[in-house]
Amino acid sequence: MSNAAASPNGSPGTTRVSIASGPLVGPVLRRVVGMLAARADLPLDRLDDAVLVADLIASRAPAHVAAASVDVDLETADRTLFLRVGPLRPGGGDALIVDAAVPGVGNVIEQLADDISVHPEGEAEYLHVRLAYPA
Amino acid sequence: MRAHCLSAAATERWKPVPATPSPVRLSLPARARNIAVARRALEAIAEELALPRRLVEDMRLAVTEACTNVVRHAYQNGEADDQSALRVELRPQPRGMFVVVEDRGRGLAPSPDGGGPGLGLPLIAALTEDLEISHGPDRRGTRVAMSFAAPVIEAA
Repeated sequence: MSNAAASPNGSPGTTRVSIASGPLVGPVLRRVVGMLAARADLPLDRLDDAVLVADLIASRAPAHVAAASVDVDLETADRTLFLRVGPLRPGGGDALIVDAAVPGVGNVIEQLADDISVHPEGEAEYLHVRLAYPA
Repeated sequence: MRAHCLSAAATERWKPVPATPSPVRLSLPARARNIAVARRALEAIAEELALPRRLVEDMRLAVTEACTNVVRHAYQNGEADDQSALRVELRPQPRGMFVVVEDRGRGLAPSPDGGGPGLGLPLIAALTEDLEISHGPDRRGTRVAMSFAAPVIEAA
């Protein structure tokens, strides 16, 4: 896991998605992430990776969020997609990463992301994920 | 406002939504390209709830119009930039969806291009079960609240 800072930081160009924990988290997050990954001009295999990461976050994050919703900030750059997941409860960032392990496959988010890191902010934590495709 | 005219045979079934609504909120730069993001989120919810196709088409069109109004008219200097906010709330209802599109712009006012009122708001009104247009918080911006509902099909 890289400790590189790689995430949206609430800048004006950020898209924020807030979804109440429940059955809509996965369907909504995967569509929004897929669309923004396409906008970032990620090639198809990396777009698939981004959607897979979104699906894992959607399925695992509700157990670790600080409130009743899963909040994700997204930013795009040239062939790069940044995600910032949170606020998560204390320890929730690492727990979410651990939860993303799939038996026989390993930790999918760690394998697919170029950077993944946990950042405390106040009493909460945020998981930062960067997916990119080098030019 | 609009009576949906679907035959029982043509009406798809929709899933019952949970008793506790599960809202989805989007906060986006008010740029034209982000209208599609709101549409995609709407489509995802509609698909998950298996809402009737005709209702989904109405919702898609109305939400697109409301978001387009924000991008085109809410902020100064034509198309809004990345610092201009477009907020969309999507809240499933037992037979449809409650959608709020709001901005923090200049509020309802005559179009600066002098073109007069367009078809956007009348179109939204025609497509919605209920429509409420108001100021945003602090009387700043505009809040468009739209209710969409599928028709009740009574057993023969």
